Amino acid sequence: MSTAPDASGSRTPERGWNEHVTAALLGTRRRPAPSLPEAPAEVDDPAARLLDQAAVLTVRRRAGRRPLRSLEPIAPAPVEDLPVVPPAAARRLAQILGGTQIRVLPEWLEAAAAAGRRVPARLLPDLLERGRSDRMLRPAIARAAGRRGVWLALRNTEWAYLVGSGDDPGGGPEVWQTGTRNQRVAYLTALRGSDPAAAREALRETWGREPAPDRAAFLATFEHGLSPDDEEFLESALEDRGKDVRQIAADLLARLPGSAYGERMAARARACVRPLERTVRGRRRLWAAVEPPRTHDEDLARDGVPFHPSGSFAPGGRSGGPVGTRAAWLREILARTPLATWTELFGLPPMEIVCLPVTEAAGHGDREDGDARRGGDARAARDVHIGWARAALRQRDVAWARALLKGGVLADEPEALAELLQVLPADERDQAAADLIRWVEGGPDLLRVLERIPGPWTGQLADAVVVALAGAAERRARPYEHTLTQLCRLADQRLTPDAAPRLEALAARPGAAPAGAAGHALAELTETLRFRHEMLKELTS
Amino acid sequence: MSDPADSFGRVSDRWGREQVLGLAPDAASAKAAAGVAEPAKWRGAGADGESLWGECKGSGKSAYRTCVDLTEPAFRCTCPSRKFPCKHALGLLLLWSDGAVGGGDRPAWAAEWVDQRRARAAKARDRTSAASRTRDPKTAERRRQRVDDGLAELDQWLRDQVAQGLAQAEHAPYRLWDDVARRLVDAQAGTLAGQVKGLAAIPRRPGWPDRLLEEYALLRLLVRAYQRGEELPEALRETVRARVGFTLSQDEVAERGERVRDRWCVTGLHDSEQERLITRRVWLRGRRTRRPALVLSFAAPGRPLDASLMVGTEIDAELLFYPGAQPLRALVGERHGPAVPAVPDGTSIRGFLDEHAAALARDPWVDRWPVTLAAVRLARSGDGVLHVMDEAGDALPLRPTDPWRLLAVSGGHPFTFAGEWTPRGLRPLAAWHEDEGMVIL
Repeated sequence: MSTAPDASGSRTPERGWNEHVTAALLGTRRRPAPSLPEAPAEVDDPAARLLDQAAVLTVRRRAGRRPLRSLEPIAPAPVEDLPVVPPAAARRLAQILGGTQIRVLPEWLEAAAAAGRRVPARLLPDLLERGRSDRMLRPAIARAAGRRGVWLALRNTEWAYLVGSGDDPGGGPEVWQTGTRNQRVAYLTALRGSDPAAAREALRETWGREPAPDRAAFLATFEHGLSPDDEEFLESALEDRGKDVRQIAADLLARLPGSAYGERMAARARACVRPLERTVRGRRRLWAAVEPPRTHDEDLARDGVPFHPSGSFAPGGRSGGPVGTRAAWLREILARTPLATWTELFGLPPMEIVCLPVTEAAGHGDREDGDARRGGDARAARDVHIGWARAALRQRDVAWARALLKGGVLADEPEALAELLQVLPADERDQAAADLIRWVEGGPDLLRVLERIPGPWTGQLADAVVVALAGAAERRARPYEHTLTQLCRLADQRLTPDAAPRLEALAARPGAAPAGAAGHALAELTETLRFRHEMLKELTS
Repeated sequence: MSDPADSFGRVSDRWGREQVLGLAPDAASAKAAAGVAEPAKWRGAGADGESLWGECKGSGKSAYRTCVDLTEPAFRCTCPSRKFPCKHALGLLLLWSDGAVGGGDRPAWAAEWVDQRRARAAKARDRTSAASRTRDPKTAERRRQRVDDGLAELDQWLRDQVAQGLAQAEHAPYRLWDDVARRLVDAQAGTLAGQVKGLAAIPRRPGWPDRLLEEYALLRLLVRAYQRGEELPEALRETVRARVGFTLSQDEVAERGERVRDRWCVTGLHDSEQERLITRRVWLRGRRTRRPALVLSFAAPGRPLDASLMVGTEIDAELLFYPGAQPLRALVGERHGPAVPAVPDGTSIRGFLDEHAAALARDPWVDRWPVTLAAVRLARSGDGVLHVMDEAGDALPLRPTDPWRLLAVSGGHPFTFAGEWTPRGLRPLAAWHEDEGMVIL
């Protein structure tokens, strides 16, 4: 039956069928039905005859269907070099992609990649679709999708982001000539990583032709592999027409040790902060005397300190009022001054410099009004310490970061300290963060500090967070309920899942389990941690 | 053929997670079930190869008692959920699927329910065999007259369409077909009415003139066959009557249908909605007889569909085929053991086309046929249409659906394919791959 005889003589079966379709489309009133001898011919009505013949042909066409030949099969995906995740982990990923605890997806992907495993092929379409709408996910997807992921992405333009993501920006040097801005930034970033000089020369060649926003984006890649060799280029960029370009150049120069820029700033800084020997109650002590700059000039602006530095009108910490332009200039100058300036000037290690008493130079000798003087000194101290903290962050200076964190200064600017944590070596961070948390003792500062500490929170830091959670859970007042809710929200993706049993114990303590929204948040946090705990266990088993 | 005792011996063959989740009435239930599938939430969970039980801690004070009869499967839970199966039954199945449910003796409450259910099923079977429904001959005559009139009218309408020309169909409103379908409903030719209603979608797709002419021609063929029913062989007459809309009750099928016991592999499942009714087609293939079978079930949207057949499993059971020239639709009769995971045997594309041609020779109106192909790869034709291609280099086009899962799973490598063949191409339903296992598409 699969090879029906062609009874209509010279006509091919397909042509015979097409004649019937044409006749049917036009109508048998206009076009007579073609003849088909083997069809029943007992009816006179041409429409009926056309239908009867078409029925014969239809069944013949369907039964005589032939397979297509000589198609090119789709090229097989390359063999994976990583094993797939264990079945339990695959099931959990399916669950996550289905919407359960979707926020843990990045952690799942990172953990899978860290364990040297890949996503099972069947889940790739859903995963790649997630990455289409969520850019932040893409690097993690690239690390865990395996070769099959790239193979699949090559076949769907909407998933093209996966091709050439990760370490390889995709394409060779021609990307620099023809790519989009983002592609060119990726290319330049990669080149800065391997050959900073070549990247600088590539940029120098096209510099004059690039529009200002592009110049700013390209110059920002210099943060990778930044070295004194870049100084000349950056110095010339201080004269750029683009405001953003000038600012980026100044910020980068401020990170370069031993640059002429650093020298200029150090000269300004030394004019503002100087050592002072003072006798208080019969003891001679070294002080830091502070006098903020009185004027702002073109050179200062050229070096990246605008007349109104950002934040100069913002409320200044606990003191309430705006910082004021003079204090803001001082902070900016100190933030851009090489920290070695101070160790040389005072002849002391960072820890001792941080602990020096600070006095407002203008208030010196004015002994009548003690309160006003102390207020001025406190403001001066805060300005100096904030300046140093910003400098330590920018220059990634471990000794200074350590000194500022331990020195007990900046008590009313804990956010600045929290940011310094990332400068510390990894093995010191948990301890230092835990100390910081104990120091701020709950309240709104706690949240502001924790916000700035990236996960995972482990070891002593985790202990401190659990204690903070317990503390907030014990107090029933409204503000604590709010703190607890917020704390739970911050902790759910960052706190180590090992803390789950302790939180469960907390919720199970008779009479201690908080009710209402806070209790709900605590229960949710426990559930998320449990989920993450199971998830990480599955991925490493 | 395997002895029932053999099937019960294979208690270690647990269902895969995909199969369990395939039972969920909707996506929300599947998600909720995953949340319930945690050992900590269950007390006294156990399994004995035929059934599964446990008590789940709910939001209230008392625990819900959940029991699953694996032979059917059938579900029972004391929770107030109106979903069926509920998240507890699904969660328990998931736990069991993960190997987190141990053995044990059936507790009294579970045993009682399983026994009650079995007794009811036995009683139903007895009723079936004892059934002898009497029909009012006058009612039958009245209906015959109505159907005759309705079909004559349909024939006239079909001829009018072709006489005026099908070109007008391209921009015709749905009403053109809906009116005809309604008159066929009035004429008590329900199956035919549904088919005519479905035609409205054809002129909205590319290549519609060929398809529309095919359908009109086959409809007229059906009308003519019905009108000349006396001259047809008995089996073909049954086929024609069924396609017009003379339905058989399950009792009648049990009485007159062919009974075939085999290990039936569930190769695919497809739900489609028409007229606020969801039709579930489940395709089976006999391991020994190699016969295809189609089990249909129906439900209003949001109501549970029959979940007793899971893709990727095999049941040792007796099927009761509806009578006809090419028996295909069937009811599941007595089962001889629980469902176990299984990979179906596949054929070549030529093998499938020959089988399909033979089926058309017996029943020219066959428009869906189950396909199980072994060791196929994906291929693209010049115009970008995805095909499956077997080892001999023969290829068939896939219907335009979301191809990404199939592409991802196969990665261009060979796999076992299950789908349904329609005049528009192959609809993928499931795939089995060496590394990936079974994937429902």
